[in-house]
Amino acid sequence: MHEVQKNDRSLWEVVGDYFRANSIWMKWYCTGCGAIEMPPTMTSRFDMEQLGMGPMATPRQADVLLITGYLSTKTLRRVIYSYEQMQDPKYVVGFGSCTLNGGIYYDSYATINQLDKYLPVDLYIAGCMPRPEAIMNSFGELIEMIKKGEAKGWKHYKENHEWYKANQMDSLGEVIIHDEFHE
Amino acid sequence: MKEVKLFLGPQHPGMHGNYSVHMYVDGDMIKKARPTPGFLHRGFEKLMERRLWMGNLALIPRICVVEPDINEMVYAMGIEALAGVEVPERAHWIRMMILELGRLAIHMMAIGGIGGPTGMYTATYWGIAQRDLILDLFEKITGARIYHMYIVPGGVRKDLPEGILEDVTKVLDQLEKNLPEYEELILRHPIIHARIKDNIMLPESVVWELGVTGIGMRSATGTENDLRKVKPYARYDQVEFDVPTATYSDALTRMQLKYQEMHQSIRIIRQVMEKMPKEGPVRTNFSAGSALRFTVPEGMVYTAVESSRGEYGYFIVSDGKEQPYRIAVRGASYPQGLLGIEKYLTGYRIDDASIWMDTMGVCSPEIDR
Amino acid sequence: MTNSMSNWIETLEKDLGVEVLDSPAKLQYFIDVEHTNVHQTLAYLRHVGFTQMSLLSCIDWIEQGKFQLICILMNWENGVHMLVRTMLDRENPEFTTITDIYPGAVYYEREIHEFFGVHFRGNPTYQKPLFLERWDDMPPLRKDFDPQAYSDSKFPRREHPHVFKTKVVEVTE
Repeated sequence: MHEVQKNDRSLWEVVGDYFRANSIWMKWYCTGCGAIEMPPTMTSRFDMEQLGMGPMATPRQADVLLITGYLSTKTLRRVIYSYEQMQDPKYVVGFGSCTLNGGIYYDSYATINQLDKYLPVDLYIAGCMPRPEAIMNSFGELIEMIKKGEAKGWKHYKENHEWYKANQMDSLGEVIIHDEFHE
Repeated sequence: MKEVKLFLGPQHPGMHGNYSVHMYVDGDMIKKARPTPGFLHRGFEKLMERRLWMGNLALIPRICVVEPDINEMVYAMGIEALAGVEVPERAHWIRMMILELGRLAIHMMAIGGIGGPTGMYTATYWGIAQRDLILDLFEKITGARIYHMYIVPGGVRKDLPEGILEDVTKVLDQLEKNLPEYEELILRHPIIHARIKDNIMLPESVVWELGVTGIGMRSATGTENDLRKVKPYARYDQVEFDVPTATYSDALTRMQLKYQEMHQSIRIIRQVMEKMPKEGPVRTNFSAGSALRFTVPEGMVYTAVESSRGEYGYFIVSDGKEQPYRIAVRGASYPQGLLGIEKYLTGYRIDDASIWMDTMGVCSPEIDR
Repeated sequence: MTNSMSNWIETLEKDLGVEVLDSPAKLQYFIDVEHTNVHQTLAYLRHVGFTQMSLLSCIDWIEQGKFQLICILMNWENGVHMLVRTMLDRENPEFTTITDIYPGAVYYEREIHEFFGVHFRGNPTYQKPLFLERWDDMPPLRKDFDPQAYSDSKFPRREHPHVFKTKVVEVTE
């Protein structure tokens, strides 16, 4: 039997988290090169569905946002946009060393260096690039975290909204996405 | 009817990679399309000027994520041409084997990729699973699944591990056994035919206008315009292979050419394993002093190889220092990914846009860099 | 093959009045022309079989105060790459578009404007941003642009506390 840890959750949240953990929809957004290891993870070789996870096309029905690798500022605007469209509860997993500290692109003028300044990251996967085994392992870890109520980045994002917004503005200028036809 | 502005990507399951096509649609007819690259822009060309020649080895495979070996090959070829280094004979053959294995992997990925936009996910599952066996070979040879950093200036990083040729033969045998099944299931499937036959046309005039190379060019013009034949690098002049061509370029033809190229790649790898010198050095050490801080003589050179999408090249400028002065990357999918989408996607339907991306082979990281 | 090749190069040199230089790689040649003669050269080369433009790129020679434009052409019949080079003034880099000769160049010109700030007369779209969004500094591939400084000013870096725990191990015999 799992030992139910209540933390600061109500009983309903404990029950809700238990069921959420077993049915996770992962948002289908290839933000960087780590996405190349997603097809093997999703398909028959490693088979993500054994964990009850599946890809989901729209942000509004997804639970997990995977940041697969480096983020250019142009992508980060869309990522923030997508993240704010997702419904609570939502979790963020950062892939690879680029999301941790910039990785090999530490001095690039186009990519950010540290993801958790802009979005609340629940879990990081180290490596460049993380192997499918590491991804599967981290998904298992994420499920445990959800069950225990430790994955509460989305609450943190709400509570510290000003801090996150200020960081986003400092790096991006603005998060609004304009017409891209340039016409 | 009113025109609607529609965003296909960057977050869209039909979109390959982080790329976006924005369009005005009337019903589901595309009236105007604009490609939006830059989501994967990392400033490689600037970063490469800041790294040592050796340090760039870690950077270059990341320019094209799905097919990294061609980057290492053009980079190594460029430095070897500038420095006037002869590569050991065995290294040439090992390089060819790696490049052709890479070509097999990306064609498997493309055959898997066509499952997404056409709604036939069996193709995706089969293609990706088959590709994984090739990645396992890469792991045995180079130690990594995706980014190998194996082809280095002066040869290859290490000799082949023992017994790898048997493993390669085993994978090739199995692939060859499966290929007719893939053809039956994927290329002759009524669903796929209904979706991609006579769709996404590429006339010969458009090829010359845009500068499309590779399968796009060969499927439209019927010429054997393959850099491996026209301008052989490594030891491609010593192996026998055919270049599949066609004179009618729709999406189905291009998929069929990919399929036929896989047969040729298997044929090349088998010949490589036969003709390769059984032993010998695999790397020339051409640097005086430290191997990590070598310098390259002054000059500029353009080197190109045949990738799965066409001519892939680096333009390398050296000023005789420890770092490159400038490296410009010619992404093979630049013409069809940008100008092609802008000019020739109009008139197709919304769901055909991702078939364009897949069968033309648009690789967004190499466009963005 | 080589004989016909050298004949062909001689004809080219005579017709264009330029010198065809050898390059380190085989089947690859350089032509240096004034920037006013580029279009004439390209049109001629296209006529004699260089139907494909592989790459249009730029080099920043900051010490000489010049930009160098490189147009790489490919002839599929004999596999020759021809690199047409020209120098532009770095202070006021202006060039006339080559899209009427090679229509595929339109996005390369847009890219060069974005990364180097070269202006292309006659290309109506070259000033639109392509890869960068809301860029607020000098064109980034110029040599005097420092990406490290830009990154430090914009994107905060994770601070790694360098705490090394020392543990005294007593060796007892």
